[in-house]
Amino acid sequence: MTKGLVRLQRLWSAYWLLLPALSIYVVFLLYPMVFSFLISLYQWDGLAPVKKFVGLENYRVFFSDPASLLALKNNIIWMLFMIAIPVALGLVLAVILNERVPGRTAFRAIFYSPTVLPLVAVGIIWSWIYNPTFGAVNSFFRLVGLPELTRPWLSDPKVALYSVILTGIWQGTGFPMLLFLAGLQTIPRELYEAAEIDGASRIQSFWYITIPSLRETFVIVVSILMIGSLKVFDLIYIMTWGGPGRLTQVMSTWMYFNTFVFHKAGFGSAIAWIITVASLGIAYPYIRAMSRR
Amino acid sequence: MSVRKYRYWKETVFLIILAFFFLFPFGIVVLTSFRTQQDVVSGGVFALPNSLRWDNFPEAWRIGKFRVYYRNSLLVTLIKVPTGIFVAALAAYPLAKYRFRIRDSLFAFFLLGLGIPINIVLLPLTILLYRFRIRDSLFAFFLLGLGIPINIVLLPLTILLKRIGLLNTLGALFFPYIVFGLPFQILVLRGFFRGIPDELIDAARIDGCAEFQTFWRIILPLATPAVLALFIIDFLATWNELLMALIFIHSDEWKTVPLGLMYFQGQFASSYPIINAGVLIAILPVLGVYILLQRYFVSGITAGALKE
Repeated sequence: MTKGLVRLQRLWSAYWLLLPALSIYVVFLLYPMVFSFLISLYQWDGLAPVKKFVGLENYRVFFSDPASLLALKNNIIWMLFMIAIPVALGLVLAVILNERVPGRTAFRAIFYSPTVLPLVAVGIIWSWIYNPTFGAVNSFFRLVGLPELTRPWLSDPKVALYSVILTGIWQGTGFPMLLFLAGLQTIPRELYEAAEIDGASRIQSFWYITIPSLRETFVIVVSILMIGSLKVFDLIYIMTWGGPGRLTQVMSTWMYFNTFVFHKAGFGSAIAWIITVASLGIAYPYIRAMSRR
Repeated sequence: MSVRKYRYWKETVFLIILAFFFLFPFGIVVLTSFRTQQDVVSGGVFALPNSLRWDNFPEAWRIGKFRVYYRNSLLVTLIKVPTGIFVAALAAYPLAKYRFRIRDSLFAFFLLGLGIPINIVLLPLTILLYRFRIRDSLFAFFLLGLGIPINIVLLPLTILLKRIGLLNTLGALFFPYIVFGLPFQILVLRGFFRGIPDELIDAARIDGCAEFQTFWRIILPLATPAVLALFIIDFLATWNELLMALIFIHSDEWKTVPLGLMYFQGQFASSYPIINAGVLIAILPVLGVYILLQRYFVSGITAGALKE
């Protein structure tokens, strides 16, 4: 009898301890999410008391509107670059820094430091570097006698997106590097020693020991980077404002501009849901694969 | 030995060249922030400054209104970070140690809400997951990675905050910041709490400790390393956040450092030395926290968490 009472008391305190987190969660996340889906079904400016129900029309418009499709395409380009370069570079750096290279702690700190900066600051720093008149890049090209290579890096339609991507790479390489470093430390040293005794070269050890052992880390890194790419906002907003024209819009900025600048709340909410569904879709195969094992 | 040394030659050269490119933007910022506008325009960006002009910093501080932004960012981080971690710890404890029917679904439910855009948070998490090697926390990890993008709640939250009168005050940032920190913190703390032997809790109960006392006096102190790591991570994430601040805060009086810096740059875009001084003012706290605590932040967690 008392035992039952004690158990009941414990159960009661379990819910009591969970209450603050749960209530903040429901009010500030779940309810807004449902609300957001409802808004996406309407044509609405976000302010007026009148809304017009349009069903899934906002979603249909997104996939037939050239400007929206461009934002999607830009986001995919961003994603491809952010997967390819930071992953490759991060892996190479991690492999090197995992050895007893002199100054490895300092090097690791240097490559990781851009990652802790506020993205606003990163965007401003690089806008200055790309400044068409006084910026470091154009100054450098003029200094070495290649003035034909100078250009307005952030307003030239051909290169603007890639200029911001370079900034993203500078800022985003430290993160995969640290994940790979963490992964590398779980590989037993004996494996490499055995391989060395068997006469394997360092390149061979890399391909046959390091890469297969990091399989799990790869899955984690790539999925995080893909999902992170879908959320990119700050750098584009600070450096190009989606311009020139709408040429460097990505999903997250496009959602922001539609919702809060163009006052197309319904359309903007539809974009937000498309981002969410895409990010779930990207991760779904990984979840399945990982939870099955 | 000499053969070994030779082996690192190429690597070292590669690292130094790459490090140069990684440090280059910092160098440009520092160099520009110590010059006069005149000097930048006539001398070019690479020339050494005529004289070190310290005045740019007080001037940027003053005209950029950084005092106000610092106050706001400090207020938000100092109140939000401990509160958020405390709320998370409260929830993580029963999720780790109690047995009740919907425990696991509740946990999954919390994880689904992860929408932290700042990658920094994900690193220690991965490390922790390596440590615990539990299939379901890996599963949870992917739920985390998916995250729910902040975008999805921006507009409804704006409407909600307006309705409860918090819009355009620091209070507007408080709850949304907590929400987006919670799932990660719950995940990490739950992992730590699970590592604490049940016998300790039972002993405390036999000694007559109430449930909250057990949590507060026994469990939480044991999780100090995790709590400290979460403090650093959450400090950086909160200090750097832009998107929500941009939408919820409009008056100068309540802007945070990133938001204030953005407007400062918009206003004084062509006063290059002042802008760069402002950038340094804005990034000093995060660089300081990172450099001072990086041993703990990176190698501390890595070494401690990976080698059992």
